[in-house]
Amino acid sequence: MTDLASHTAFGAAQPRDRTIGALALTERPDIALASLTLRAGSRAPAPFGLDLPGPGGLAEGEGVAAFWSAPGQWMIEAPGRAESDFAAEVVRAVGDTGGTDVSVTEQTDGFVAFDIVSRHGPAPLDALLERLVNLDPALWGPGRATRTVLHHMSVFVLRRDASRVTIWGIRSAAGSLWHALDAALTRQNVGGYP
Amino acid sequence: MTRYSGGLIDRSREITFRFDGRSYRGHPGDTLASALLANGVRLMGRSFKYHRPRGVLSAGSEEPNALVELREGARQEPNTRATMAELYDGLVARSQNRVGSLSFDALAVNDLLAPVFAAGFYYKTFMWPRTFWEKLYEPMIRRAAGLGSLSGLPDPDAYDRGYLHCDLLVIGGGAAGLAAALTAGRSGARVILADEDFRLGGRLLAESDPLDDAPAADWVARTEAELRTMPNVRILPRTTVFGVYDHGIYGAVERVADHLPVPDDRVRQTLWRITARRSVLAAGATERHIPFADNDRPGIMLAGAMRAYANRWAASPGIARDAPVAIFTNNDDGHRTARDLIARGARVAGVIDTRPKAAQTTAYEVFAGGLVTGTRGRLGLRSIRVVHDGRERWIDCAALGVSGGWNPVVHLASHHRGRPVWDQDIQSFVPGQGGPQGLVPAGACAGRGSTAAALADGARAAQSALTEIGIGSAAPDLPRAEDAPVRQAAFWHVAGKGRAWVDFQNDVTVKDIALAHKENMRPVEHLKRWTTLGMATDQGKTSNVTALAVMAELTGRTIPETGTTIFRPPYTGVSLSVLGGGATGPDFRPTRLTPTHAWARAQGAVFTEVGQWMRAQYFPRAGETHWRHSVDREARAVRSDVGLCDVTTLGKIDVQGRDAGLFLDRIYANTIATLKVGRVRYGLMLREDGFLYDDGTCARLAEDRYVVTTTTANAGLVYRNMEFARQCLWPDLDVQLISTTDAWAQIAVAGPKSRALLERIVDGADLSNDAFPFMACRELTVCGGLRARLFRISFSGELAYEIAVPARYGHALMQRLVEQGADLGVTPYGTEALAVLRIEKGHAAGAELNGQTTAAMIGLGRMVSRKKDAIGAIMSRREGLAADTRRLIGLQPVTPGQSVSAGAHLFARGAPQDTAHDQGWITSACHSPHLGHSIGLGFLEQGHTRMDEVIVAANPVAGETVELRVVSAQFIDPEGGRLRD
Repeated sequence: MTDLASHTAFGAAQPRDRTIGALALTERPDIALASLTLRAGSRAPAPFGLDLPGPGGLAEGEGVAAFWSAPGQWMIEAPGRAESDFAAEVVRAVGDTGGTDVSVTEQTDGFVAFDIVSRHGPAPLDALLERLVNLDPALWGPGRATRTVLHHMSVFVLRRDASRVTIWGIRSAAGSLWHALDAALTRQNVGGYP
Repeated sequence: MTRYSGGLIDRSREITFRFDGRSYRGHPGDTLASALLANGVRLMGRSFKYHRPRGVLSAGSEEPNALVELREGARQEPNTRATMAELYDGLVARSQNRVGSLSFDALAVNDLLAPVFAAGFYYKTFMWPRTFWEKLYEPMIRRAAGLGSLSGLPDPDAYDRGYLHCDLLVIGGGAAGLAAALTAGRSGARVILADEDFRLGGRLLAESDPLDDAPAADWVARTEAELRTMPNVRILPRTTVFGVYDHGIYGAVERVADHLPVPDDRVRQTLWRITARRSVLAAGATERHIPFADNDRPGIMLAGAMRAYANRWAASPGIARDAPVAIFTNNDDGHRTARDLIARGARVAGVIDTRPKAAQTTAYEVFAGGLVTGTRGRLGLRSIRVVHDGRERWIDCAALGVSGGWNPVVHLASHHRGRPVWDQDIQSFVPGQGGPQGLVPAGACAGRGSTAAALADGARAAQSALTEIGIGSAAPDLPRAEDAPVRQAAFWHVAGKGRAWVDFQNDVTVKDIALAHKENMRPVEHLKRWTTLGMATDQGKTSNVTALAVMAELTGRTIPETGTTIFRPPYTGVSLSVLGGGATGPDFRPTRLTPTHAWARAQGAVFTEVGQWMRAQYFPRAGETHWRHSVDREARAVRSDVGLCDVTTLGKIDVQGRDAGLFLDRIYANTIATLKVGRVRYGLMLREDGFLYDDGTCARLAEDRYVVTTTTANAGLVYRNMEFARQCLWPDLDVQLISTTDAWAQIAVAGPKSRALLERIVDGADLSNDAFPFMACRELTVCGGLRARLFRISFSGELAYEIAVPARYGHALMQRLVEQGADLGVTPYGTEALAVLRIEKGHAAGAELNGQTTAAMIGLGRMVSRKKDAIGAIMSRREGLAADTRRLIGLQPVTPGQSVSAGAHLFARGAPQDTAHDQGWITSACHSPHLGHSIGLGFLEQGHTRMDEVIVAANPVAGETVELRVVSAQFIDPEGGRLRD
């Protein structure tokens, strides 16, 4: 185990969090992330028992989840395993399930993850999201994930359930992303929104 | 006060406001215009060009005259329509475009000069002398002609943006819009109802006609209440849908806090992008006026607006409740105004109806077949001249309502180049085919303007739109309503002497249109530009159609033959603040920080923007008073000891797959497939046209895995181009790409002591020259088991490495290297020293790879392999590029102490300094702390054959000419021994 200390995307020792009104915003530096891409002619594997979802889909398993990111490509998430060599674990997991030919790339520190959780059901979350991303809530319920633009930044937005989303943004732009989210939460709380 | 009884204002509360320094009172529910009228104020502004006194013309967003500067200080907002400014307690407004007071404007002298200020005056007059334009004419004209002024202070308010989705967007909350929203809302469809007014109802609020024998406002209130109970309906009052964009997206501005004195913590406005599967355009109609001589005096307004002020706001159009009012009309609507005014207690001095067979009534005098041919009253209407039955007479009146019929508001329907079509029956343009897909016009904007027709048409339009998307709906029970036939006559202006204003905001008269005709500016587009008709803040909402009709009359053609202008977004002005979506200053665009940013900040680094990235430029130390002190020290440390620089910003692309090598052979100009595992190669990328566009290193980590490094600036572009090649050019290749730029913190460890430093942190790896030579790479662990990648590459020309660890450890790794290297003289360095080091070494960077240079020009022509094909390879051999004989060279001053300036152009000694004799240019320059003088890199004709020649660098911007000696671009260690040691 290395004796180097890890830092968050904000250069801090501890993750950021902020609760404003019904909504809690939490940085999640603990989630490991790796991309899994099929090589030509390969069939989709089932790493960690995950049924890899189709376009726009998010599949949650035991301590692991996967969301579709491009044709033949998924992002595999694992909370609590960010400091391990998770990409290597994915390679092993694919091998354990029969060994299909895939390319796996470590992505954990390519991104920064923020959870936004509502304590009062989906309404505050939906009101917030309509300020942030151009997604139709009617088509974007629990179990959906998509890549979109938020304040000129590329993000993955994952709707884990009606009251919880995770936003994966570019790690180096964490400050700008936090600013956008924090400002939207703050405005929502002061009643600037309907 | 000139208030009538009734109206939709809250009389239980009184609010005060100020206009031009005077205090007035109004009520909640008022607009600034209605409150001013209710206080007997008719003079509200000055016209754009002639500074003519003007009063309010309309009661809506089409207003051309009553423009004010609203609010004070940083919140001062010019060109605000008094008709749209919702009154709040403490509102402050000032009239604009005047020198002196509103009632005595010194620039009204322009009006006396009107004969020389005719249309086209500027174009003809200010052509000579040309040099006068920029410094004299333009500032003078801008000062004299203009609208409101800006505060010049930063906007203190917050703005927001958002995205909405619906099945049906209903634009306009009048009779048709409410019926459409009710129909769709009851069907369960997701509905958004947007209206620019602060109160739903549209013209229903302005008319006295009942719905089901009750005031129309009752039905509006009931309908709104029902809509508000529906979870599938969203009502957006104070929201202007200003444009239709591609794929059913509508732009809308919600004025969230414009009606409050200050927004407090609220946003001021929100920009909504509404994605609607279908929309109903229920934008209503704008009344036409009829140009006649001196038709612009305060007190002359649209007859429909007069009804709105009387019925909705209980405000008399005259200076007193019983002041006489006259009506000039060519249709039945003028009589409706007369009836409503009489019902409110006003005195109607007469209705002048252009129709000879206009019906008589006992309620007021009707001048059938009469015309208004002139007016009196300098700052407000006093009397009108009426010609009737061959006789001329002056009639005293304080206000005149003018009705020339109604123009459907077709704007949004023509946003996708949908051209309005002329409906001869109603003498109006109505929405044509070919407009935005999925948009259904309904009600008055479709030419169906009686209340009953609008209600029915709104319901029909909603049903029809919903049917198209598979949603069934039933027409609601609609109230009984007036259903007077729409009879509009082709009476466009009163001929005669005097100036008859067509476009009030731009001071365009019937005569100006006649002049445009005479000067052959007959196509509509020419007419507009020649006269400025239809420009500025109102975009000709009350003038365009009338002007067309006048031009048609002059050319002897029909209106459809004359043509029409179509409308572009925005429907009404949209502030740049809200278009920006609220992001300003440092938050205007995203900023990217390196993994060592917090550490560098703690070291006191000075940062520089590199694209979106903030990079440490240099690290000043105590006692260093100039950036050069810091940069020289950092550069020297790299050449003598060891330096550390965060190079995370360089793009990193993970390339995997069975065909990865073949793929990269096609991407890079040089061969990559032969690279051995554990080795790195420098590579060049060409554009399709053969020019260089990026360079960097490519490392082979495994048989089927490479890491491509790009320049910071082109990281996104290279990745995009590679994705395009993978997906579109060679989809048959087995290649997988993904960016890992942010995933790895990468630190350059450069200098003769770099190996010694790295040996202290790697977990037992052999870094000796034999085991890990120049251009080697490997995956290893550092600091007790942390996975890392080590590359032996050099940008400085020294023994150097780049080490990458997961980004979260970048900060700690930098700290560890600094601690471990203390006895080795370790020194962090920034981008400035990085640049000095690479110029000394003659490495090309962004300044050399500027999109206009070739591999041959930087001396690497032979890297473009002829043994294989690659993007741009064949084009790089075309005559035009291959014949370019400029080559990268080094330059140093002949006279010690003189500077080499980047950007200067190179000439042979004694040659004229002009384009024909230009021999190249200087790309990069710096002070070399190792050589002790200024050095530079540049491209010079046949440069590689001209070593030691003295040439001239001319910098005409600074007026400098310097003699420079041509030398090798490698100022340091030209043999390259250091980096291989």
